Amino acid sequence: MRGVPILEIEDLRTYFFAKGKQAFIRAVDGVNLRINRGETLGLVGESGSGKSITALSIIGLITAEPGVISGRIGFQTDGIETNLLQDLGDYVHLKGKDGRVMEVHKDCTGWEKQVERLMGDIRGREISVIFQNPRSSLNPFIPIGKQITEAILLNSLIKNHHKAKERALYWLEQVKIDSPRLRFDSYPYGLSGGMCQRAMIAMALASEPSLLIADEPTTGLDATIQSKIVDLLQELKSTFTVTTMLISHDIEVIKRLSDSAAVMYGGTLMEYGPARDILFVDLESKHPYTAALLASIPSEKHIKEKAYLQAIEGDVLDTINTPEGCRFYARCNRVTEGVREKCQYHEPDLREISPGHCVRCWLYFD
Amino acid sequence: MGKTILEVVNLKKHFLQPRGLFSALRGQERIIPAVDEVNFYLKEHETLGLVGESGSGKTTVGKTILRLTPATSGRILFAGKDITDLSARDFRPLRKEMQMIFQDLDAALNPKMRIRAILKEAISVHQDINGSQVDRKIGELLEQVNLKETKLTNFPHELSGGEKRRVGIARALAVGARFLVADEPTSALDVSIQAQVVNLFKDLQKNLGLSYLFISHDLRIVELVSHKVAVMYLGRIVEMGLANRIAEAPRHPYTHILWSSLVDKESREASGTSSEGKSADWGVFDFERPYRGCRFAPRCPVYHARGRPEICINPSTEPQLKDIGEVHKVACHFPL
Repeated sequence: MRGVPILEIEDLRTYFFAKGKQAFIRAVDGVNLRINRGETLGLVGESGSGKSITALSIIGLITAEPGVISGRIGFQTDGIETNLLQDLGDYVHLKGKDGRVMEVHKDCTGWEKQVERLMGDIRGREISVIFQNPRSSLNPFIPIGKQITEAILLNSLIKNHHKAKERALYWLEQVKIDSPRLRFDSYPYGLSGGMCQRAMIAMALASEPSLLIADEPTTGLDATIQSKIVDLLQELKSTFTVTTMLISHDIEVIKRLSDSAAVMYGGTLMEYGPARDILFVDLESKHPYTAALLASIPSEKHIKEKAYLQAIEGDVLDTINTPEGCRFYARCNRVTEGVREKCQYHEPDLREISPGHCVRCWLYFD
Repeated sequence: MGKTILEVVNLKKHFLQPRGLFSALRGQERIIPAVDEVNFYLKEHETLGLVGESGSGKTTVGKTILRLTPATSGRILFAGKDITDLSARDFRPLRKEMQMIFQDLDAALNPKMRIRAILKEAISVHQDINGSQVDRKIGELLEQVNLKETKLTNFPHELSGGEKRRVGIARALAVGARFLVADEPTSALDVSIQAQVVNLFKDLQKNLGLSYLFISHDLRIVELVSHKVAVMYLGRIVEMGLANRIAEAPRHPYTHILWSSLVDKESREASGTSSEGKSADWGVFDFERPYRGCRFAPRCPVYHARGRPEICINPSTEPQLKDIGEVHKVACHFPL
């Protein structure tokens, strides 16, 4: 994948220490990603696969006691690269016995201060986020227009209140809220879910960020509203060339908006590459997990024949006791005798099998 | 096809919305017609899918049928018996036969009870049986819903979404239900787990001959599991018919928009409809907006395209469900 990278994630690991079990929950376990300017990267996966934690790690919102992050997140602003995880490791001390971690000491204040140093000028200005539930992200006591104005005053070069208000109205218009002047003074409870999500998008884009992270932007909305939000995101993408990291468990949404796609399972990437290779074509060379995920969506044929769906047996991976071998081994239906032993005891790495298309599966190696 | 298991006639459920003390004293409470003159029937071994946007009254229909909330007016007939005004005592034996599978997995299971206790309670509440029989019954249930026996000692929070859903289904089956109201049973689940649950519903129907009222806003799933589909809009059924006909040849403009709004690029491209076409200004619906005549008129593309005909907004000519052949009914003056 060529182009100018704006975000480069290398070996990101976000673990949470479970005191009772004296073990790490490996929410994100070795993720490598790269987003180029103007591109949309879609992150798909089941719940618990680590999609949202990846996003929270990027914007430095993992601050609580048990959360430990390692790896490197390189973020480009005006040609200067900042590692958003710089020196964070210094604030964490692990106490172990016999190679087992028994206790985690984290200097939360120091960690937070360091995150503020690194993120202060970036979060909200350079990287904006749209969260899943728009109503809970908006302040219920403040009219939406005022909230957007506030965000503009805080995160952009506009410091004049009047101008900021004009700008907020402009963005409300851009996200297709009808009669923006009227809606400017509406409170979130007076707006529908779709409308609130539009307001959130307006707020996120108002600071003209170089990276937008959209975490499940359409989940929880009605089908009619969902498709309109997707249309809106698509339109904004072409008008403003926003670089987006789109997180969703809805493959249809990812399909429509993404240039490249990454499939997550059990905290790591199973497949990564151009969206058209991964999600569209019936390529033989797909990771068995991606293939199973795509097959479990009811297709036209299933619906017509009222057929049984192809479920993936078993449950989402337990991220405390990650298996030795391939994470998907227990649920995989394509293990052949030739590779069974490798699958069971050795974890495959993410290897490029065709230009730009990486797969983590023994079936495609050598 | 079999006998009719459930018939609903002119069902109404109106909620009163208090508007503060003074208005209440003056009797100015507002009425929200969550369910307004709903008619349908369901045959044994069949599934009726109920679709509509949130707030259209789907769940209220389900709850009212099971008498979890009293109906304002109308009749509910279960297996030929009018249950609308049955006393609690007379209704109790019927309660066993009709159960609900609730939408919210976490709210539906008591967080302080182990799975075994949850199932045991459901089994013993309607019948007087001893310990070993309970265990046998639990074993049977686990097999039916395909849940591992080791999970019996777990608490609900230790289970995954799919497992919790299975427990909910097992609990409904524990009392020997014949008719289930499944309220958004797949909405909180991942696609792979969703497929497992949908398959389970199909299996149970085949093996135990259950009938479902399947409430969901996921149109594809509804189309897949249902024999018939009813589309609700603002408390009314606007179209009803065989599942594949509703999906492929919808006659009501609302149904048409609903199905064409699926976020599915491939099929949309194949059918040649552009995204602009379907997003014809299609505001938000709410009970607050006053309407006269057809409830859908303010959002209806046909109404606007036909130059806002008087008949659509005349209060005395609100469209009623009309039979248009092949068990297909539509409530529209200008069906597509």
